[in-house]
Amino acid sequence: MIVPIIIRTLTLGGVYALLASGMSLIFGVAHIVNLAHTAFFMVGAYGMWFLMRQQGWGPIESILVTVVGVTLLGLLVYRVFLNRVRQHPQAILLITIAFALVFQELLVLAFGSHFRTAPALIQGSRLILGVRVTNQDLLALGVVAVVMIVMWLVLKKTKLGIAIRATANDAEIANLMGISVPRTLLITMGIGTALAGVAAVLMAPLWVFYPYIWMSPLTMILAIVVLGGLGSIKGSVIGAFIIALVETLVVFLLPQHGYMTTAFALLAMIIVLSVRPGGLFGTIFEEERL
Amino acid sequence: MASFFEVENLTKRFGGLVAVDNVSFRIERDEIVGLIGPNGSGKTTLVRCIIGILSPTSGTVKFKGQDITRWRPWKVVQAGLAGTFQVVKPFRRLPVIANVMVGCLCPRVTRRGEWVKSTQIKARDALEFVGIMDRALEPASNLSHGDLKRLEVARAIATEPELLILDEPFGGLNPAETELVAKSMKRLHKGGRFGRLHSEGPAMLIIEHKLSELMKIVDKVIVLNYGKIIAYGTPEEIIRDPQVIEAYTGKEVPVA
Amino acid sequence: MLKRRLNDFRWGVLPVPGRLMAVIFFVFLFVFPLISDARYPLLIVTLACIYAIFAVSWDLLSGYTGQVNFGHALFFGVGAYGSALLYKYLGLPPWATIPLGALIAALAGVVTCLPALRLRGPYLSLLTLAFPLLLSQVARAFPEVTGGYIGIRGLPALAASPIGRYYVCLIVMIVSVLIMWKLTDAGSKNVRTGLIFHAIREDEITARATGINTIRYKILAFAIGGFFGGIAGGLFGHLLRTVGLGVFAISLSFQAIIWVVFGGIVSIYGPVIGVFVLYPLVELMQGTAIGEYRNLIMAVIVILILCFMPEGIAVRIRDKIERQCPRCKLSNAAWRRECRACSASLRHVADG
Ligand SMILES: Nc1ncnc2c1ncn2[C@@H]1O[C@H](COP(=O)(O)OP(=O)(O)OP(=O)(O)O)[C@@H](O)[C@H]1O
Ligand SMILES: [Mg+2]
Repeated sequence: MIVPIIIRTLTLGGVYALLASGMSLIFGVAHIVNLAHTAFFMVGAYGMWFLMRQQGWGPIESILVTVVGVTLLGLLVYRVFLNRVRQHPQAILLITIAFALVFQELLVLAFGSHFRTAPALIQGSRLILGVRVTNQDLLALGVVAVVMIVMWLVLKKTKLGIAIRATANDAEIANLMGISVPRTLLITMGIGTALAGVAAVLMAPLWVFYPYIWMSPLTMILAIVVLGGLGSIKGSVIGAFIIALVETLVVFLLPQHGYMTTAFALLAMIIVLSVRPGGLFGTIFEEERL
Repeated sequence: MASFFEVENLTKRFGGLVAVDNVSFRIERDEIVGLIGPNGSGKTTLVRCIIGILSPTSGTVKFKGQDITRWRPWKVVQAGLAGTFQVVKPFRRLPVIANVMVGCLCPRVTRRGEWVKSTQIKARDALEFVGIMDRALEPASNLSHGDLKRLEVARAIATEPELLILDEPFGGLNPAETELVAKSMKRLHKGGRFGRLHSEGPAMLIIEHKLSELMKIVDKVIVLNYGKIIAYGTPEEIIRDPQVIEAYTGKEVPVA
Repeated sequence: MLKRRLNDFRWGVLPVPGRLMAVIFFVFLFVFPLISDARYPLLIVTLACIYAIFAVSWDLLSGYTGQVNFGHALFFGVGAYGSALLYKYLGLPPWATIPLGALIAALAGVVTCLPALRLRGPYLSLLTLAFPLLLSQVARAFPEVTGGYIGIRGLPALAASPIGRYYVCLIVMIVSVLIMWKLTDAGSKNVRTGLIFHAIREDEITARATGINTIRYKILAFAIGGFFGGIAGGLFGHLLRTVGLGVFAISLSFQAIIWVVFGGIVSIYGPVIGVFVLYPLVELMQGTAIGEYRNLIMAVIVILILCFMPEGIAVRIRDKIERQCPRCKLSNAAWRRECRACSASLRHVADG
């Protein structure tokens, strides 16, 4: 039982890490809590399904079009709408939820509320320590690892990464230092949604999608991001695996109460927040006592 | 005998930085004390620890015989110790008068049988006292920086404190306005009634960089540098203190 | 007495378009059953009354004190389940279960508030988002008590006839809204909570340093918000005579926010108008050719309002038809040339 738990935690945690780090990045830099994040993910998965199943495209061009498409959609939404209300955190929360609903309704209108799955990018499966794992799962895990390393390198080593981190630290000072803050924010939003697009490409064959699917991973991702500390990518990755473990344990140990996964994830979040108001790795500047 | 107000061995660390380092001093009931020091010497941090916005790392604060260390700010204010902010934090979207009325709602003030009805009149008198009555009905965000500073003072004196701590009250004021505020501080310190506004004749601790104005109104001066008290005395003693001159000019000055 | 009221009406209401419209609106609600006593429209307006209480209670908590609650359905749900359980186990009648259920919801407000006291901004919102989800899953896990997925059925009705139920909800709505309006009125001469809630929203630290026990007032705001949210939930349960897990839905929490933002946040009257405009509109769309698109239309309306009219429809309209006198701050009709009380010139007062 231990091995399947570990394997499921790893595969689930990988997707969560991709989604959560994108969301956390956007929050950390632009102070936008993007509640439409998993909706972008869902749109991407539908893109994969539509291109591969309906249009008969090959995997490579489908992947490219999906990731680029989701990224462009994210940039568009940011430039035209989010940018206007960036100063009002509550408005941001509302408007992003509204966008999630818009995507949901458009998908219902276009494709109905049926369950959809894209074809696997690679076929087959193999035995690992006596547990059958699909090759698609392994591919997903591998890609997640590569993407996380690349992102880490970009943030730590490149000029862009420095600009992003400087903006996250203090946009006003970054501006004074000659960093174009609006451009950096736009790029960050692009990276964040691109990560959601990548997650979509990887999960489209593994999950069953329908237009309301954005809600349940959203609560999980929120629990992860808040638990890890809003804005901390390290926190999101670690939080992703913690929550994935919690979820897997609930599924394995309380099979008849599978619906309780969210409750336990949220409970984990509430406990962490009660002990550390800024999450595990969040820094709250010691301004005043709370 | 216990002092009216007493700070003992107060220390505040931010991570590795010791912003306030083992500071001890006293203020008597009838004194006006100045607190000076170069930028970043820990004056604001000291005040924020005293009024309970930050909690000090160690040390005690005593006020009227009570240990008020780590009391919540509202309890401190209700005990009779009010402070203003260096970086003004008004209730921006509320009218100026409402900003002051919040101070008039403090239980310390209303307990004396005054009810909410009279707060408006009292808030007007407080605004009159600092000289921004004509802006009373505008939202606070419309005020200039100097007027906001005066609003801070009005908000604090509306709670009728016995010890008033002012963090750079002259910041952003022109010389004429500075003169005016300094004079009204003197009047406030004498105590009495200004319309509905009642003054306990509070002791004061005033932080200020405009030394010439400050020295005219204070009885004693405390000099802080790198979080430590480096000098304490009357204004005449302080302006001649070589350590103080060194702290301000950053170099050794030959003792004349 | 009557004469004084008439005088109030003559000088305080008639010359101010906003107030006059409010009076007309309430008179209209009172005679509504005379205009149309068909079941369906009456039910819609009855539900609108309930949702108006719910939306206004969100405005009090989140609009006024700035503690932006993303899980307001918690209070609705606790009120609904609370009163349903009180009936199921103790057999109490609605007039007792609803207030008691609301008290339980107020308690739920205080409990949520405790972890929330240390949190700010998005952390607070996301934490509160979690609570109704959590509770709905807990309710589902104890089917013997809560009826699980099906819920509790067969609750006693609020009144025998649809018209009776309508008037119960209408009167409770008016009383609740008036109480919340009084509690949040910053200019009030005898209630201090309004000013304090405003102060806490504007700057909590300054409020503390001005002698306000912000913790106490935040708990109070959560309790009041919870109480009236619970009243709405209890009315809802007894109106439909059944309580299910839907009362904890995230969509209900967001619906409240949408109504408030649409009508105008921090205004009390805004949310009422938001509910009475949006809710019947959406219900009307159902069953027509555009019924399919109604969720989409709602979402698009929210986006457009937030981007282009963040103060809300009702507040925007009020700003258009009323002007505040620059001298005495009295409200005047926008088309007047001088203030009705102090006759200061109003002509140079710019729009907004
Ligand atoms: N919340 C905080 N976290 C970390 N360091 C802080 C914080 N607040 C102040 N400091 C540091 O503590 C030191 C003292 O700052 P403080 O604001 O008390 O100085 P000050 O004497 O009031 O200066 P000024 O005359 O410019 O107002 C500074 O080095 C400052 O950077
Ligand atoms: Mg300072």
